[in-house]
Amino acid sequence: MYPAINIAGFALPTAGLLYIFGAYFTLSVIEKTAVWVNHDSEEIYALGTVTLVAGVVGARLVFVSEYWAAFSTNMVSIVWPLNTGYNSWAGLLIGLVAGFFYARGKQMPPAKTLDAIVPGLVFGLMIISLKDFLAGPGYGVISTVPWAISQFGISRHPVQIYELIAGVVSLGIWWRMSRSERRDGLLFLITTGVYSASRLYLDALRDNAWLTTNGLHVWQIISFIILVLCVFYLRYYLPAPTPKTNNQ
Amino acid sequence: MIQTQSQWATLLFLVIFLGGGWIALSREEVSESASAIILTEAPIVGYLAPDFTLQTPLGETIVLSDITAGAQGQPIVLNFWASWCGPCRIEMPDLQQTSMKYNGRVAVLGINQGENNQAITQFGTEFNVTYPLLNDQNQEVNSTYQINSLPTTIFIDANGIVREVQIGIITKAVLEDRIEQLIAEAE
Repeated sequence: MYPAINIAGFALPTAGLLYIFGAYFTLSVIEKTAVWVNHDSEEIYALGTVTLVAGVVGARLVFVSEYWAAFSTNMVSIVWPLNTGYNSWAGLLIGLVAGFFYARGKQMPPAKTLDAIVPGLVFGLMIISLKDFLAGPGYGVISTVPWAISQFGISRHPVQIYELIAGVVSLGIWWRMSRSERRDGLLFLITTGVYSASRLYLDALRDNAWLTTNGLHVWQIISFIILVLCVFYLRYYLPAPTPKTNNQ
Repeated sequence: MIQTQSQWATLLFLVIFLGGGWIALSREEVSESASAIILTEAPIVGYLAPDFTLQTPLGETIVLSDITAGAQGQPIVLNFWASWCGPCRIEMPDLQQTSMKYNGRVAVLGINQGENNQAITQFGTEFNVTYPLLNDQNQEVNSTYQINSLPTTIFIDANGIVREVQIGIITKAVLEDRIEQLIAEAE
């Protein structure tokens, strides 16, 4: 819809702008949520920053190494322009590894840390949905529902809006549960489980979904695995069985 | 909330059963997945690239759909540019080198924005451009492709589907990355 936003004669790519604002707001979110789960907000903010910076730099460096022949003829192109040219999967992996070792080095409690950062993860995914909605790609299947979005004369499910709603619901559940007594890690499992379940359902409505060679939705499979893992680990949060009394 | 092992086991079973079932129900015929979109022409990812006919300053006519037509269809890199656009000038040598490297496997087309044949020819000579630079003086194609920022580069696969819209300057590495993906899919 809006691949570029024109401000005072300058066309700024919607996706790039949203990623920058998204990173800033995601860090702000985890800084706040850390306080709500009694975690050190500065530590969580630093963890988020390390993960993000390592992810972005790693994604760029892996891409540069993949195309070194092209970059070596113009070294400036390694650092500019930065609007494209990242290996996103490598970035994700490097970011997670960096975050893991940072948290371990700082001896951050794993379950409580996950509770604090999960709203940031959901918020970050919501930014990507918003970017897809504003920048055009990834609309839903053809639909006649009254709230369908018309794109080039064809009415489609606004699937990214559904994803945003799923994110809001997940964050709402997180917020509601964070107000009550609970064991560490439960917030992470429930929030991640709810969001994964909704993405598992919603990806079926996507028109240009990423498919396996036999037509299965890749994001559905990923969401399904995460959901099953979340439910599996819920087992550890069951109340301890009450010992049977022996009335003889 | 779940209180017992049996409630938990039931939940786990339901999640696996319903989730797995939903994945199976959502399965698409791979060839069918694209057909719903490709009926529509639009300059956005996943849609059929809007067709056009334009001429080079030398009078050669280029029809977009001719390039992707048939079994020997080629991927296309559409680059929208203007001679007054600084970033377009910076990326032009990379586009030229890339077009030479993948000559015969990918079609690179430069679509000018609103300038005359003389300006296009001068620009082509200045940068030794060998791929077609097309005249769109009344900006019909620029308008169809909703170009509001230069340079913009659009990657189109061998089936004529828009795969990526890249706003802003593009590097040789990114060009090669995207082109190699398109070639691999076409083969």
